[in-house]
Order: sequence, then C-alpha cells, then structure tokens
Amino acid sequence: MTNDNLNKLLVFCVLFCAQKTSIVHGAQALETKVALLLHAEPENPKCFAEGMSDLTCFWEEDEERTGSADQYSFIYTYQNENSSECSITALPAAGGKRLYFCRLSQTQLFVPLDIRVFRDDLLIHNRSLFIELVFLLDPPANLTLTSTGTQGQLKASWLPPSLKYMGDSMMYEVSYAMAGSHIGKVEEVQASSELILRGLQSGTKYKVRIRVKLDGISYSGYWSAWTDPVLMETMPGDLDPLIVSLSLIISLVLTLLSLLVLMSHRRFLLKKIWPIIPTPESKFQGLFKVYGGDFQEWLGHSTGGLWLRPAYFYSEEFPAPLEVLSEVSLGPALPSSALPPKASEALGEEDEDEKLKRVDSALEGWRETPQEHWPMDQLRAIHQHPAPWTQSSLLESHDAYVTLNAQNHSGEELLDDILEETLPLQVLFASGRTSSESRSDLGSFQQSSGLGRLSSQSSFEYPNHTWPPKGPGYTYMAVADSGVSMDYSPMSSSKIDDIGKGVIYTNEYKNEIPAHRRPIGTPIPFAF
Amino acid sequence: MCVCVCPRAGLPSPVRPICDPRVLDRFIMEARDTETALRGCKAGCGVTGTFVVPLTNVDFVVWETKDTEEQALEVQSGMSLFGQALGAVRESVSRVAVQILIDNNKSNIHSLGQVLRSLHIQDLPLPPAPAVGDLVTRKVSSLSELLHVHTNFLRGKVRLLLTNAPACQQNST
Repeated sequence: MTNDNLNKLLVFCVLFCAQKTSIVHGAQALETKVALLLHAEPENPKCFAEGMSDLTCFWEEDEERTGSADQYSFIYTYQNENSSECSITALPAAGGKRLYFCRLSQTQLFVPLDIRVFRDDLLIHNRSLFIELVFLLDPPANLTLTSTGTQGQLKASWLPPSLKYMGDSMMYEVSYAMAGSHIGKVEEVQASSELILRGLQSGTKYKVRIRVKLDGISYSGYWSAWTDPVLMETMPGDLDPLIVSLSLIISLVLTLLSLLVLMSHRRFLLKKIWPIIPTPESKFQGLFKVYGGDFQEWLGHSTGGLWLRPAYFYSEEFPAPLEVLSEVSLGPALPSSALPPKASEALGEEDEDEKLKRVDSALEGWRETPQEHWPMDQLRAIHQHPAPWTQSSLLESHDAYVTLNAQNHSGEELLDDILEETLPLQVLFASGRTSSESRSDLGSFQQSSGLGRLSSQSSFEYPNHTWPPKGPGYTYMAVADSGVSMDYSPMSSSKIDDIGKGVIYTNEYKNEIPAHRRPIGTPIPFAF
Repeated sequence: MCVCVCPRAGLPSPVRPICDPRVLDRFIMEARDTETALRGCKAGCGVTGTFVVPLTNVDFVVWETKDTEEQALEVQSGMSLFGQALGAVRESVSRVAVQILIDNNKSNIHSLGQVLRSLHIQDLPLPPAPAVGDLVTRKVSSLSELLHVHTNFLRGKVRLLLTNAPACQQNST
C-alpha cells in the first residue's frame, strides 16, 4: 500500500511539474506572441491561430478604461451560421493596462468569421477575418549548425512546426551574422527544413537564427518570433588557390627581373667581386711571354723602344722639375765646403771602375760635410761677396748645372697650379765633358716644358763659364753628384739667407725609381 | 495551365499522380486574381441572378473524420457547381476582358478534374441538385461573391483533398 501510494504521489508530482513547466513555457510563448501582434496588427481584436483548430483573440485597454472581464462580451459568427459567444479572460499588462483574451478551441477555416466585442453592451470592436490567414506559429525547434566540409559554408537545419497539412506551405527566414556584429544577411527558404549558408569567412564564428511564416497562398499569417541564436565557427581557411597562384607568378616575375638585371650588369659585378689583378704585361710587351720575365734581357732587346718611349719613365707621377747647379767654388777655395774634386772628376769621362773608386772616396769626403748645407754655404759666400759669375770659380768645375726658370710663353695656356712634381724631368746630366763639345749630354733645351711654365739651361751652353745671373727671387737647386747618387738642395739667389724663411717648394728627389713602383727583380734604369 | 491526358483507344493510359502542390497553388492564385480584378466591376459586370455554390468552411476535426471518398465527393460536387455558375456568368457578360478571365477559371476547373483523376479519385456520381436550404450549399447573388467563394473552396477543401490524397502519400514515403 505504501509503495503504491508513493508511486502515485511520484507520478502526480512529475505530471504537475511537467504541466507547470509547460504552463510556464506556454505563458512565456503567449507573452511573446502578444507583444508581436501588438506591434504587427493594427486592428482590434488582435487574433491569431497557433494550430489547425484554435484561435486566440485579445485587445488591450488603458488603465482608466479597464474593468472586470464581465463587462465585456465577445460574439463571433461564421458565415451562414448562428452567432456564438466566447468567454473572456483578463490579464494585467505593463503600464497599468489590461489585456482581455478570448480563445476558441474549435474553428472553421476557409470561411469568413465575424467578431464583435461589446463592453457594457457597447460595441467597441468589430472585425471579419479568415482564420487560415492569421496563423502565428511557434519558432522552429532544434536549430542546429553543422559543417558541410567545405570552407566558407555552414549547414543550418531545424524542425518545422508540427502542423498537419501545412508543411509545404511554410516559409523560413534565416538570419546569420558574424558573432559580435550587428550587420548580417537574411535568406528565405520555402517548404524545407535545412539551408546551406555560403560565402562565409573561414575560421569565423557565426550567429544564426530562424523564424517561420505561412506562404500566403492557402494559409497566411505573421512572422514567428526568432529562435535563440546558435553559434558555430566555420572551417579554418586554407590558402586560396588563386592567391597561391598569383604569389607564384609574382615570385617568378621578380626572379626573372633579378636575373635580367644581374646579367646586364655582370661585368660590373664581376669586377667588384673578383677584381682583375692588374698586370704590367701591357706596358712590357713580350716581357713575360717572350723573355719569361727576365727584365734585363727584355731591356737588351727593347732598348730602342725605351728611347722611343719616353713615357716609360713617366709613370703615375712625374719627377719634380729641378734646377741643378754645379759645384760652386767661391773665390778662395773653401776646403770644408769645396766640392770634392774627386766627385767632380767622377763626372768626367773615365772608366767606370775608376769612377766608382772616386765616388767612394768622394763619398767619404762628402759625408764629412752636411750635404744639405754645402751648396748653401757656397752660394751664401757668393752672395756676400758678389763677383761676376763669369769670373768666379763657380764654373771651374766641369759639373753640369741646369737652371729652370718660369717663363710665360704667349699663346700658351698657363697652368697656375703646376707643381714641380707634375713636370717631367727633362734634364739629363752630363758627365763633365768639355765645353768644346757642341753636344751636351744634358740635352739642353731652351724651350719651356710642355706646360709652358719652366725653362731650363745647362752650363754647357755657356762654354766660357758665362753663366748669366738670374733675377731676384730665382730659385736654384744645388745638386751634388757623387757618381752614385745625387742630392739636391733648393735655394734662391736673392733669398739665400732666407731659405729657411722663404717658401721654396722642395721635394725629396732621388734620381731613382721609387721602390714600390719598381718592378720586382729588375735593375733600375738610368738615362744619361 | 491545362493538364491534358489523351486516352488511347480501348485502354486508358496510366497517368502519373500529380502531387505537386504548386499546381493547385497556381489555380488558387489565378482565381484570386480574377476575384480582385472583377471586385470593382460596376453593376456586377452586368451579371444578374443567383448562383448555387458549395460551402467552403472546413472543420479539421470533422474533416479528418471523413474518409477520402467522402471528401472527394464533397470536392467534386462543389467543383461541378462552380462550373455551372461560371458557365452562366460567361453567357451574361459582354466585356471581352471579363470573358477571358471567366474562361481561364473554367479551364482551371476542368484541369483540376484531371488532377483528381490522376490521384485515382474516380469520378463519382454527383448528388442530385441541391435544394434550397441544403447544408452543403448556399446561394450567392453577385459575381464578386461567386468568385470569392470559388477561391475559398479551392484553398480549403480542394487543397486538403489533394495534399492528403493516398496516391501522394505513397509517393512521399
């Protein structure tokens, strides 16, 4: 007994709870539909059918006009039939208003229905309608989103309202938008329970909802309420084939352009990356190919060529012009400053061996005196005791001396910025030949250098030792030739005392090819 | 649209059931368009007299209690009444535009009969002419009301019959 009673009690509770749940749910649905019709239907009473054989009508009254339900009467009449009355229920509404409801549980479709509402026998509402044209359905149930396996697509499926005879008359409106966005799209579909949403962004969450309405041919009505939104993310996107192909094409084009540029500038690039090591082969024709790098041998076979190619001597830098003065003997001999006669004799025509010996001895004597000051002392003495040059013992020595002075030749271009280094050394030294010789090894030339600024004179042009005095400011260079090397010291005739003060452009000149420009292993050429 | 079936001599050819609801939907829309076009017709477009028309009301609870044959009889008798009424209207109107619309509706009624035959709904012997006060008919006195009832009849009983025809239920399963 107790078990039976408990079972009955349990069943009663379940049913009560279910009914209560359905009642609550039904109440919420009713409230939603009432709100929809208050917005969508202008006529009164507002009526809607939820199924095949029901009709719900209601109207709203303001607070000041509200009364009990008994004050109202709802009279309805089908065509060609007698009138009937519907019982009224009152419910409170927002803002102090009240809603009065009439619900019919048995209806006739496809026939006009006349409705009249009275309040205290006063007709307040009158309306004629077809019930099959005022359907307000519940929203579709079980809205589900699934992936179709294709990018940018989602499949929406739902359960249509369970209305007999009306499945093929229902139309649906599907609203979808990206989650968080208020801008979406709407698509309609008829007589179906699923729809594929296309054109969606990959890897994006979408919010979808749906509502239903009868299509209006046989049955019609109002749009139902929207379902609760359902969210789902679309498939992540793969590389768009179009984008991939365009990227490949662009890469190929850029590669081809790069190759084109590289090919057009390949020589420049090769020079930069693998610079050509310069060889002197072009300057020494046959030196490597014919003589195997033997420079002496090559010299012997191409001596004439050397003479014919004075440019050989003129490498990147031209020797500085200079003025060579002979050894000066100032009146009474200055033993300490006299040019070692042996050195001068070394300039004579003597055998080379004897020359070397004399050079050695001359060098010994030479080193006893500061070389750089000897000519200056000599000339200083001259200056202090001026004597005609023609009578001085300056010219006693057979040493050669050359003067270079700046001359302006008309019609020739003047070069103001000529440095001594830029002028070719065109002075060749004689080896003390007598003045009777008409030819001077010095290769005297009166003409100016090609640059038009300097001229030179050699002592051999003045066989009677009539070396003409030069003007003030004239710059001289004393040369001491030991037979092995020659040292030069600049000086000025008028400013001998001011040599240390004046501005005389001097260069450390050695009559030898600088070591770094000298081909390795080759003897130093000299021209006499 | 006119659905024509040409029977061969001797043996009737089997007709595929026409279950597409869009067929009847087009008949319904054309009837509605005719009703709308002739609603403002002055003096009833010159149509006078009364017409017997079937009742169009459908109580689903009651309707579902009827079998297909009874439903078919109700539909066929109603279609017959409309055919007779539209024929009488066609003879009384003089305007060509009105005549064209009436002829179209008459053609649709004939096609609808073919659709019923395709659903194996045989032509049943029609009941005798309904008497005045019959519960299944009523009288109308204007062309607009006649066309209105015609539309409601198509939307209701005819459609219910075609939608739930057994031949179409077999095709859908």
